[in-house]
Amino acid sequence: MQPRTTQFRQNSASALADERIQRNLAGLYSGFHSARIDASSATADWESLRARGHEIKSHVIENLDYYLNTLADSVERAGGHVFFAKDAEDASSYVVEVASKRGIDLVIKSKSMLSEEMGLNERLEAEGMEPVETDLGEYIIQLAGDTPFHIIAPAIHKSREEVSDLFTERLGAPRYEDIEDLTKEARRQLRQKFLAAGMGISGANFLVAETGTVALVTNEGNGRMVTSMPKVHIAIAGMEKVVPSIEDLAMFLRLLIRSATGQMLSSYVTAVTGPRLHDEEDGPEEFHLVIVDNGRSRILADEHLRESLLCLRCGACMNACPVYRKVGGHAYGWVYPGPIGAIVSPMLTGLSDGKDLPYASTLCGACKEACPVKIDMPRMLLYLRKELTQGDSYPEHRSADAAERLAVKGWRASASSDAAMRATNLAARLGQALLSRGGEISKMPGPLSGWTDHREFPRAQKPFRSRWPLGDDAARRPRDER
Amino acid sequence: MSQRDAFLSRISGALGRDRPPQLPPSAPPYSVGPPDEIAERAALVTDMMKRNADNLFATLAHVAESAGWNVARVPDPRAAGKRILEIAKDLEARLGVFSPHPIVRAALRADPFAGSGIELLPVALGLDESESPQRGRERLRAAMAVADLGITGVDYAIAETGTCVIIPKAGVSRLVSLLPPVHVALVERGQTLPSLDELFTLRRNDFMQGETRSYMNLITGPSRTADIEYTIVTGVHGPGEVHMILVG
Ligand code: SF4
Repeated sequence: MQPRTTQFRQNSASALADERIQRNLAGLYSGFHSARIDASSATADWESLRARGHEIKSHVIENLDYYLNTLADSVERAGGHVFFAKDAEDASSYVVEVASKRGIDLVIKSKSMLSEEMGLNERLEAEGMEPVETDLGEYIIQLAGDTPFHIIAPAIHKSREEVSDLFTERLGAPRYEDIEDLTKEARRQLRQKFLAAGMGISGANFLVAETGTVALVTNEGNGRMVTSMPKVHIAIAGMEKVVPSIEDLAMFLRLLIRSATGQMLSSYVTAVTGPRLHDEEDGPEEFHLVIVDNGRSRILADEHLRESLLCLRCGACMNACPVYRKVGGHAYGWVYPGPIGAIVSPMLTGLSDGKDLPYASTLCGACKEACPVKIDMPRMLLYLRKELTQGDSYPEHRSADAAERLAVKGWRASASSDAAMRATNLAARLGQALLSRGGEISKMPGPLSGWTDHREFPRAQKPFRSRWPLGDDAARRPRDER
Repeated sequence: MSQRDAFLSRISGALGRDRPPQLPPSAPPYSVGPPDEIAERAALVTDMMKRNADNLFATLAHVAESAGWNVARVPDPRAAGKRILEIAKDLEARLGVFSPHPIVRAALRADPFAGSGIELLPVALGLDESESPQRGRERLRAAMAVADLGITGVDYAIAETGTCVIIPKAGVSRLVSLLPPVHVALVERGQTLPSLDELFTLRRNDFMQGETRSYMNLITGPSRTADIEYTIVTGVHGPGEVHMILVG
């Protein structure tokens, strides 16, 4: 997928003005977000599970070379092939090579954000092959030539009428009003593909180092089809997906699924270990695991950002994020939206391309609060902002950032002296009074306008730091309650 | 340098070392326990599963219902066979396929479908010795694709989540519980585990004993999606209607 991460401001402005997108986004909160809260409170020891999840994933990431080595041995022991791909191009070429060697041209796929990241469909099409997305949301996206809006519900920005139009236009289907009929139509269409395809491509939610098992979490059953029907199954996985032992799956499945959809368990969890054994009734004759770096080792090498590799891709941080909930997934311009996307996208696509993204956050902490493995996203967003503001490697942006950098510097100097800080705060409040109408600041001047162009900035009644000595609790309470 | 070595040495480099450590990193924080105690822990699980069979069965019935299964409890395999026939008649089924799990064979032993006009086909290779595995697979797949219901046993059930666990092997196809629009699962008393933890403890023990299988499915209710406007629709690619019959 071609990054459009440079256009966050334009993208988000048009999303904000789009009523349909705003309506669909409201559903995210009432749907996934509250379901997650219900499911996590129904889970005994949820907080200690999160802590444990964080600990185990951190351990794996700190020893990733060891665990990947073990994993590869285990997959080979189970009769599978392992391919280590440096980048998207490497990985796609491997898939193409396997398919063409066996004369396969129809490829069925279950949902994989990595495949979107790699642009695998475009590549397969360029080679004259037919890749078919089989997750309903991804199928809709593929027919529309669109990109995913949310990592769990890729087509959630489309209304039933739009899907119906799409099915009529692209599949020659009758006009259906009903979501159930639309789903049945997709079932009919895709059944034929499942029965005929020579290759199935899946993602992976977890890779178990000890046994070489790929664990897949799905609800529709397409993941089971893709891993059972065709002669060849290829699983593609980001290198960070490893867990040490199959016993760790119990905990990680709870953390992932309950945070993603709020189900106690998804309809299906499928564990694949190599190709079918000779005495088994069915299943693929060949199994390949493609382990992909594609910029992840860059994240790994940066101690400040390494923590983002703990991500289970559950989507909870998006559903919780006040910015995502207003601007939606397309504004972020790449495969991974929301708070975690604002961190990994600039790193995977190149920092200067994603320079707006680390600013697409209010740093309110809702993402960290929601994250099943307690990833400290606000910390990393701040770090990235600092890199972008101070870094010398992005000269084309330096002039625009200079004023902001100066402002931060000025604050630093003044914060070092109490009296000076009080004076600055006073000056700032007086300055605000000139700009604001009725207690809200509607426009900030010059380089600060990016902070206010799309939202009203509440005017500080009392400087934040002066509330603490007074023991003013209001400063500690979330905004809604004030 | 092989492509694998090059990849791993890049990872090692990012972690500030030359090459992957040869020995396991110190004290891996396994979520449940270290591998050398696995056999003992598996034995405890099996024991508990038998001792608490009644309680676990009752919890399973309750949780499975809320996960979207139609749950029925019957006293013996013969009654299970009758229940399967009722389900098939309600569907106006013409063809059912089944995995010849022992419990399914027991349920069908008295031939409850005799005279019903509903055909039942076992999905297993090698029943007809003159047929090649290749041909057998094609024939069975074609039958499963048009069958009205698929009947299976299970390896385990999980009370925590209302889940059936099926491990495909000789005589247990991956597809009987997937291709037909209706799935009927027979669960025996004593097969229910308290939670996901115990399942993976047993699977890890199997692995350590060299008893590996290429596949395992955890099935929790019907196939479903909420991909269009958050509206839940069942029966997307897998069965839209699922029955759990608790036997014993
Ligand atoms: S960062 Fe955390 S909350 Fe966000 S998708 Fe990843 S695991 Fe989920």
